Amino acid sequence: MNKYPSSGSISVGDHLPVMRKKANEAELFLYSAASFNPHRIHYDRSYAHHEGHHDTVVHGPLQGSWLTQFVTDWAGPKARLISIEWQNRASAFVDEEVQFSGTVVALDTLESIVELEIFERKADGTILMPAKALVRLEER
Amino acid sequence: MSTSLIPPESLARVGEVLEGPVTVPIDRREAQRYAYAVGDENPVYFDEVSAHAAGYRTVTVPPLFITHALVPPKSAHMLREDGLYQDATSIHLEVSRMMFGGEEWDFLEPVCVGDEITATTRLADLDQKEGSKGPFVRLVRETTFVNQDEQVVARSRQIGIAR
Repeated sequence: MNKYPSSGSISVGDHLPVMRKKANEAELFLYSAASFNPHRIHYDRSYAHHEGHHDTVVHGPLQGSWLTQFVTDWAGPKARLISIEWQNRASAFVDEEVQFSGTVVALDTLESIVELEIFERKADGTILMPAKALVRLEER
Repeated sequence: MSTSLIPPESLARVGEVLEGPVTVPIDRREAQRYAYAVGDENPVYFDEVSAHAAGYRTVTVPPLFITHALVPPKSAHMLREDGLYQDATSIHLEVSRMMFGGEEWDFLEPVCVGDEITATTRLADLDQKEGSKGPFVRLVRETTFVNQDEQVVARSRQIGIAR
């Protein structure tokens, strides 16, 4: 029994397991360092306020990488991400829990390619990023 | 029709190479720092045996890492007050704010540790639109990533919204 999805084991309308993420100050700092991004709004709360943000801002590309992890954790190591796209609609802030949810919206059983519709939301339901992904699942 | 937010000299730059081509080796430690920093501890990024079992030549890297691998080292003297670098390639527009609108990625070939990736970024599109909050400009920077075997491994389109 394989724990990862195959085109035979899933159907259009299936939901992916929800993934929750949250970054504290040290984690935001670590991402700034790992991505060589010195933008002050990601580590300086008073400067973030000065730019009109409610608190220290979570990097857009960090949420992009959370999004790819959401897909690859579900699809498994033998699957291949073909494409992914997202829109940045609102900002997430330090220590704020966000939630990724996804649905299978199309399935090509011949090519084992699945299309996912994904949303990253705040706890109050506000959409941070709507997204779409195409994944080739492990061949049987 | 509202007045144009895009000066003719900026519109003429559509298609222009903004950055690159720049070639960078994909470094294991940098990629693993990135994976840890995003909290994605997938064994295919850390362990040769897991990477082979998953069908990769060797250890692979988080999908969006390549964009960060290509960030050029720059002097701290070039930092502005907001912490961003002064950008000589920025496109002049009659706007007050630039926001990240989103990204679109195509992944065509795997990227593994030890690959040499060459990236070239072009101004792919500059388009004025009417939104509910007035006119805005949609700016698209497209980056093509090519490996040492001349294979296009990925394409990214970064969308900026300026108003």
